[in-house]
Amino acid sequence: MKIKLIIGEKEELIEISENKTVKNLLDIVDIASETVVVKKNDCIVIDEELVEDGDLIEIIQVIYGG
Amino acid sequence: MNSCDKCGNPNIIIKKKQSGQKLCKDCFIKSTQNKVLKDIHKYGLLEKGDKVLLGLSGGKDSVMLLDILNSLKKRNIIDLIAVTIDEGICGYREEGIEIAARNAKKLGVEHRVVAFKEYFGMTLDDIISKNNVKEGRRNACTYCGVFRRWIFNRVARDEGATKIATGHNLDDETQSIVMNYLEGNIQNLTRIGVKSETRSNKFTVKIKPLREIPEKEIALYVVARELDVHFAGCPYASESFRAEVGSFIKEMSKEHPTIMYSTLRGFDKMKPVLKKEFSQESIVGVCENCGEPTGARLCKACTFFKDWETD
Ligand code: SF4
Ligand SMILES: [Zn+2]
Ligand SMILES: [Zn+2]
Repeated sequence: MKIKLIIGEKEELIEISENKTVKNLLDIVDIASETVVVKKNDCIVIDEELVEDGDLIEIIQVIYGG
Repeated sequence: MNSCDKCGNPNIIIKKKQSGQKLCKDCFIKSTQNKVLKDIHKYGLLEKGDKVLLGLSGGKDSVMLLDILNSLKKRNIIDLIAVTIDEGICGYREEGIEIAARNAKKLGVEHRVVAFKEYFGMTLDDIISKNNVKEGRRNACTYCGVFRRWIFNRVARDEGATKIATGHNLDDETQSIVMNYLEGNIQNLTRIGVKSETRSNKFTVKIKPLREIPEKEIALYVVARELDVHFAGCPYASESFRAEVGSFIKEMSKEHPTIMYSTLRGFDKMKPVLKKEFSQESIVGVCENCGEPTGARLCKACTFFKDWETD
């Protein structure tokens, strides 16, 4: 399935397999979940939220440095 | 099934690792505001009629604190002025200043920008490029911290502020405790706390209303409230021992989600003893050079300048 992923200024369409959670997605793009807030279709969601076909996922980097 | 513990809303935005509590957006915002207001009351951080100088960098912590303190200003409990320090960090600070100004303007809070350059004749970038590490330069944050405290104290007196509020969060405080402990810096440990104790009426009392809020929850708060925030890292941040300690504690917190709270609680229990045994209640005089309060002949800021002169 395809989703649209926004990380900062970067926007891309990516292909991922079914039944992935936000946490799985963060692992795929190698971003620590402790340092971000994630929005799915414009609403903040928790790590265990399921990602579905056609979703718009925005990863907002909120913690820098240590 | 996940739903908000308070109202049952199925759209939760947080599941707290430390307590298991699940909250929707509105309940999270409300409960975080209440927690901060409760801490302000519990620790006696503010009194009716206080004029509060808020250090507003434009980062998430200070923008959240502005949001909450403004609610007290609106109820005529306190008077509020926001002060942004321009350390002179090229490519980083400019955007923070703009964002700070926009936030203050939106809420109708008085705002001042004060620069290292205007008080000390040089920017932090100048200081760092003039002194290299080999010649005994400390890391940027040491200078930055000393000069920033000097300016806040001076501006607070000029403005007649009765409190200086900063956005230090739970992660920051835990880092300070562990860092000073690891360095054996017991003197510094005796000064860590939610509210500074005045040793001189020339020092304005400093308060940290967000001291018990984890950094991650502050980030979530500002995103949930759709506040305009400067989400960028200072280029000098990674230089510091603090950053190393910070990563270590964050790593530990993944498996042990309550360690920051327990570090803080444990420390607060020990602090009276530490203070009694180790606090050097030096007689506070004033710096010969600049007139700011200090226990020595020269204040820390002036000591740095003196060292550079004699180089
Ligand atoms: S990270 Fe260090 S140098 Fe940068 S603003 Fe903070 S204290 Fe100053
Ligand atoms: Zn709710
Ligand atoms: Zn001085």
